[in-house]
Amino acid sequence: MTTYLIRRLLFGVVTLLVITCFVYGLARNMPGTPLTVQLGETDPSRKFNPEDLERMKRIYGLDKPWPVGYAQWLGNVVQGDLGRSISRKQPVATLIAERIGPTFLVSGTALVLAWLAAIPLGLYASARSGTVDERATSLVLYVLYSFPTFVAALFLQIIFAVWLRGTNWELPLFGMTDLPADAPLLVRITDIARHAILPVTCQTYVSLAYDSRFIKANMEEAVRQDYIRTARAKGAGPWRVLFRHAFRNTLIPLVTLLGLSLPGLIGGSVIIEQIFTWPGMGRLFFESIRERDYPTIMGLTLMFSMLTLAGQLLADLLYCVVDPRVSVE
Amino acid sequence: MNASSPIRSSGFWAEAWRRFRRKPLAMAALAFVSLLMLVAGLAPAIAGTKPVICRYKGRLYAPCLGYFDRRLEPTIFAKDKFRGTYPRNLVEKDPGSWAVWPLVFQDPYRSVRDDEWPGRPANPARDEGRPSRINLFGTDQAGVDVFAKMVHGTTIALLVGFVSMGIAGSIGIVVGALGGYLGGWVDMLTSRVTEIVMCIPTLVLILSIMALLEKPTIWHTMAIIGATGWTGIARLTRGEFLRLRQSEFVTAARATGAGPVRIMLRHILPNALAPILVPITFGIASAILTESSLSFLGFGPPPPSASWGSILNDARSNLSMWWLVVFPGVAIFLTVLAYNLIGEGLQEATDPRLREARK
Repeated sequence: MTTYLIRRLLFGVVTLLVITCFVYGLARNMPGTPLTVQLGETDPSRKFNPEDLERMKRIYGLDKPWPVGYAQWLGNVVQGDLGRSISRKQPVATLIAERIGPTFLVSGTALVLAWLAAIPLGLYASARSGTVDERATSLVLYVLYSFPTFVAALFLQIIFAVWLRGTNWELPLFGMTDLPADAPLLVRITDIARHAILPVTCQTYVSLAYDSRFIKANMEEAVRQDYIRTARAKGAGPWRVLFRHAFRNTLIPLVTLLGLSLPGLIGGSVIIEQIFTWPGMGRLFFESIRERDYPTIMGLTLMFSMLTLAGQLLADLLYCVVDPRVSVE
Repeated sequence: MNASSPIRSSGFWAEAWRRFRRKPLAMAALAFVSLLMLVAGLAPAIAGTKPVICRYKGRLYAPCLGYFDRRLEPTIFAKDKFRGTYPRNLVEKDPGSWAVWPLVFQDPYRSVRDDEWPGRPANPARDEGRPSRINLFGTDQAGVDVFAKMVHGTTIALLVGFVSMGIAGSIGIVVGALGGYLGGWVDMLTSRVTEIVMCIPTLVLILSIMALLEKPTIWHTMAIIGATGWTGIARLTRGEFLRLRQSEFVTAARATGAGPVRIMLRHILPNALAPILVPITFGIASAILTESSLSFLGFGPPPPSASWGSILNDARSNLSMWWLVVFPGVAIFLTVLAYNLIGEGLQEATDPRLREARK
């Protein structure tokens, strides 16, 4: 077990090194630097003169070739310092800490809602497999599964923010809150909740459709096994067979799926956050690429990759918990 | 004549096709994709402002080919100063000319001007352009016809799916086959590389590579989607090759002296192809999604190429123009749905375990 963990961790470190080095090289080779892209676009007169630019480049360490810059970045990261954002003049760690809450609010709620609905739906579909109502539900879920999030988001925006404008059903289009920070707590919570409804809906329906199909597929595999026939033969009721015998055996793939959803949970969805201008991690990522904000890009890449690796490891470890026959060796 | 020939049992693919054909949804999806191919191939004849065929100064021309590639547009019209406007110029410069026009006289790249088509007003611009008899799907902010844009964007949607999954499929199959068949350190290496690529956030990779390019075109987008989307295929191929490597027909092939390349290509690959084709079909759907979301975010191919996603991007600045969302949105959705249905039909038609369940 210990050797397994050590091997996984070592490989994880190598993976992180390869990925960060690659992304750093890519980012530094994108045309423009954080100093030129942002200011030059908004106002040509605010462009730095050449001497200032050189000076700024030296301050941010952009005058050196990228492998040197990468080595410096890596040295700082090992000491626990993610660096300072160039375009936002704040430590990257602070930026990430600010954004993690809003992202988690949306993705966490969506994850819980999706699983709460997906498990009963999946079980229902496999219990009533082949009937008309099951086919109708499955078809609806299938349609939802193929429905692109950004199209759904735009549809929802048109319905709730344009067509229903002025009615009780109107929902805010953008952002997380319209209120100042000193508004009463309860009012603020309701306001944030109203802003969160559309993004949460968008994120929920995709995972709901995927998860329930996944559960149904696994259940169909499980009910064909011999032990289900045995359970039926010994007189167990249909629900008991479904829950105790079939569903418990489909937990393994479910656990893997849960592990793999970890990076999305904290990383958020770039597209949904971008459409609803939700101040989360995905949007930060998108903006930092546009602003060529190398420290933020790197900080987020590091975090994403670590989460992906952690999710995979977690899934593999949970495997052994759920199924005692599986051993990590 | 062939009376003595033995009755051949139908092969695996004939059998799979027979089962696939029995699924109405999968067949409808296949019909829809074929329709899209037809639309893509005939796009200039469906919507355009250039004649499909015309007779001008005693010779036949097909100016509509200019929509596929500028160089295919006959140079005589540029020389005669047509400036892209055909209907009046044809009549004025050669009264004896005739032309076969596209079904819908609208251009995907520019707004149709007043009286360009005799007696027809200019396209409405800004948020005026609701769907009408002239502009079937309405017009965008600049007055460009959405129907024409979408018809010409079909090519992109289809190409994205095929080209990027062609690339992803080739990389995935080669990597997975080498790892699965050769095993040992090769397997170790390919598996680790696959895992590393899986960990790179795809969207970041795509966005930064797109930013790297001086002039990103639709082909770059396809190449990048392909170069990042092969991991799942590689893992599946590896699994299939690992399994089939042990089988008796491979041992038999090896005993007859077949080399590793021959065994991989001729003996294992055809047997592993069915399960590999399924994720490739699903991959086409997700490639189309990725491309349209990139265009939607504004990272797509630059204008004038009209991708469905970029029409949606136009809608973001003015949501009251619902027609800019509904038509391309539904088109993307239907295409993705069609490929998913085909993938599922393929899976059910080729996977023997699923077949038994249907008894």
